[in-house]
Amino acid sequence: MSAHDQDHQDNSTHFGYQTVDKNEKESKVASVFHSVAAQYDVMNDLMSFGIHRLWKRFTIDASGIRPGNKVLDLAGGTGDLTAKFSQLVGKDGQVVLADINSSMLNVGRDKLRDRGLVQNIDYVQANAQHLPFEDNTFDVITIAFGLRNVTDKDEALRSMYRVLKPGGRLLVLEFSKPEQELLTKAYDFYSFNILPKMGELVAKDGDSYQYLAESIRMHPNQETLKEMMETAGFEQTTFKNLTGGIVALHKGYKF
Amino acid sequence: MTNTTAMYQQFICAVLETVINKALALSLNGSKGLQSINQKCLVVYLSELGFPLSLMICEDKVLVTSLNEHPDCVINTSIKTLLALKQDMQITELIKQDKLDISGDLKVAQQFAQFFEKLDIDWQTELAKHIGDIPTFKLTQLGKKLSRKLNFAAKQIEADSTEWLVHEKRLVVSNSEVSSFNLQVSDLDVRTEALTQKLTRITQLINNAKDICE
Repeated sequence: MSAHDQDHQDNSTHFGYQTVDKNEKESKVASVFHSVAAQYDVMNDLMSFGIHRLWKRFTIDASGIRPGNKVLDLAGGTGDLTAKFSQLVGKDGQVVLADINSSMLNVGRDKLRDRGLVQNIDYVQANAQHLPFEDNTFDVITIAFGLRNVTDKDEALRSMYRVLKPGGRLLVLEFSKPEQELLTKAYDFYSFNILPKMGELVAKDGDSYQYLAESIRMHPNQETLKEMMETAGFEQTTFKNLTGGIVALHKGYKF
Repeated sequence: MTNTTAMYQQFICAVLETVINKALALSLNGSKGLQSINQKCLVVYLSELGFPLSLMICEDKVLVTSLNEHPDCVINTSIKTLLALKQDMQITELIKQDKLDISGDLKVAQQFAQFFEKLDIDWQTELAKHIGDIPTFKLTQLGKKLSRKLNFAAKQIEADSTEWLVHEKRLVVSNSEVSSFNLQVSDLDVRTEALTQKLTRITQLINNAKDICE
């Protein structure tokens, strides 16, 4: 491999099945989420048949959250996890809803305020790779369906590790690789044939949902992500497959 | 925990949370009484479920999760016992019978129980909001009439089946027959005892007579 190729590889990343420049991915992902933000919740319910709510509830149960904790809901989007965390940590706790995308953050903020959840939630527009928080700040960090959109996942994991308190835990809820071959085939058919059409019909944006399907396939599988978390410094790292491995919840501690 | 169990567990929690909060929203007493247990956590292990149900009060909402870290009170029991728990006086008895195990702050458990007992929903008013006053009135009357008829039918069926089983087919004995049989057994027992005593006395007399002859 020539130096030029090496250099090119270091500066390139995936945007779905396309190989793009690292600087380009951020803006491309941003345009996807600016486009889908308004219909994000409806599409989530439609695409997952409402099961995403159960996946998120499972994440909350696995977080071991308690009143008074400080939580970072990274790539928190429309605030599903933040809403529950806000209630569970109580008035002595704090939840920071962070997202790189302003449209998603606005939708999330409006939704939570409409539900009367105001007292312990802060909103921060932040890049997961360069979290604007002091070291050892949070008891729990969650990133649900967000890591696969991050340009440099390793750097993001290191950044999360830095802002996590010793004894704190990171929970990564993300699409993964189904365990059964038959399920994989059915899931592939659904993702590439039905999902983009659904996106076209409801959100008037089939391309964004085509990207969603492709980005899921390009995301590291369960074992690879576990190794990446360990490389970033996380300990006692485990994962739990949900719905046959369509989604996996990874958990790691900082000691 | 398998994939299916995890999802089933979350589904149960989600349904329970929705039902409880809907009932709370419809209750005539509103969320009165919740302030005293705000941020308190009660964990219930039901033998039928096999996973913890954690009830936590957050302002005017009840959150149902499977989080079991640092609860204020933990109850190990079954659904049947939980229903009997409504009566405070029964708590000690149920604990003695090993049907109920409570650890932590008992007061929290009682406050949760009181909260659930105070849920009072005016179903007629709620129904009227959706279908109107007159249909609700008609429907309620119909419901009451049906309930009366069903009660009557149930009693009638019970009486008829008793008649058929006891008197016509004689497959089952009546209470009076059982009592009469018990009386007869007692009477027979008394007479047998008297006869035994008589026989003992006769045996003694025979033995005495034998001794005199020898």
